[in-house]
Amino acid sequence: MNENQRVQQVLSGNTSAFAYFVDAYQDMAITIAYRICGNMQDAEDVVQESYVKAYRNMHSFRAESKFSTWLYRIVYNTAITHSKTRMWTGIQETEIENAFDLGENRMEIDLDEMDRKAVVSDLLQKMPQGDALLLTLYYMEDNPVKEIAQITGLNEPNVKVKLFRARKLFKEILEENYRLEDVRYS
Amino acid sequence: MKENKMDKEEMIIREMMLSERKKAPENLKFRIMQQIETEKALTPQQSKPRKRSGTLLGEMGAIFGSMYAVLAAMIMGAYLLEGTDFLLSPRFIATVVLVASVFSLFWLMTRFDAYLRGKRK
Repeated sequence: MNENQRVQQVLSGNTSAFAYFVDAYQDMAITIAYRICGNMQDAEDVVQESYVKAYRNMHSFRAESKFSTWLYRIVYNTAITHSKTRMWTGIQETEIENAFDLGENRMEIDLDEMDRKAVVSDLLQKMPQGDALLLTLYYMEDNPVKEIAQITGLNEPNVKVKLFRARKLFKEILEENYRLEDVRYS
Repeated sequence: MKENKMDKEEMIIREMMLSERKKAPENLKFRIMQQIETEKALTPQQSKPRKRSGTLLGEMGAIFGSMYAVLAAMIMGAYLLEGTDFLLSPRFIATVVLVASVFSLFWLMTRFDAYLRGKRK
């Protein structure tokens, strides 16, 4: 059974058919919400609210886009509203400098003691929220630029530019704060 | 060579990012489904508009069905108590006509009432 058929089931009153969408997308939804809100408690509330909104507005879902893209867009908007965050303020030089400053002490840390997850978590925390979110959407879900544009409401060239800058910044912070070989082979 | 290096870097970033994927807590699905079920239960179901023709036939069936039942009971009673001759007497026929008229009048009043209600809407 494909997703459109499941959507039709939900629309015809079969609430339990909606559980499929919760199972399938809740992990990515919470990852997106966490990137914007910055803590798990708020991220959980945002995801719950987003799913309820999606259920209420199921009739407005058009099969032109994937269900996941439509849902992530709702999660994105709900998280922005919930956290009152301005996502795309642009990267300021001071932000980047601060990011490096925060990591300077860690230059001495032996990465063998840290797992990769903690390193990435640390790196993403140091990046501007918007950039961290773009990397999350691009690498975790293999979302093409077009879908990222739909989710974030940015246009495609803008997403490409921001993604390029985000990727560059990620590598710079990584190289500046950790020995890359340790990250690769840890 | 440069492309290879870029691909490798892309792969490293992808692997690193995948390790940071958050896991939704066990009870989140339950919370979501419970809220949806609750909202569904609290939302008043829209009542389907009754069909006019169905209502008309239903009213006729109820009123004239009752009328024929009363007439059948009257005929049966008269036959058992007074015999066949009484069934053909003008007195009995007048009673039957009266009962039929009362029910017909009642049906007319019902229709008139329905007409006025429809007009008011």
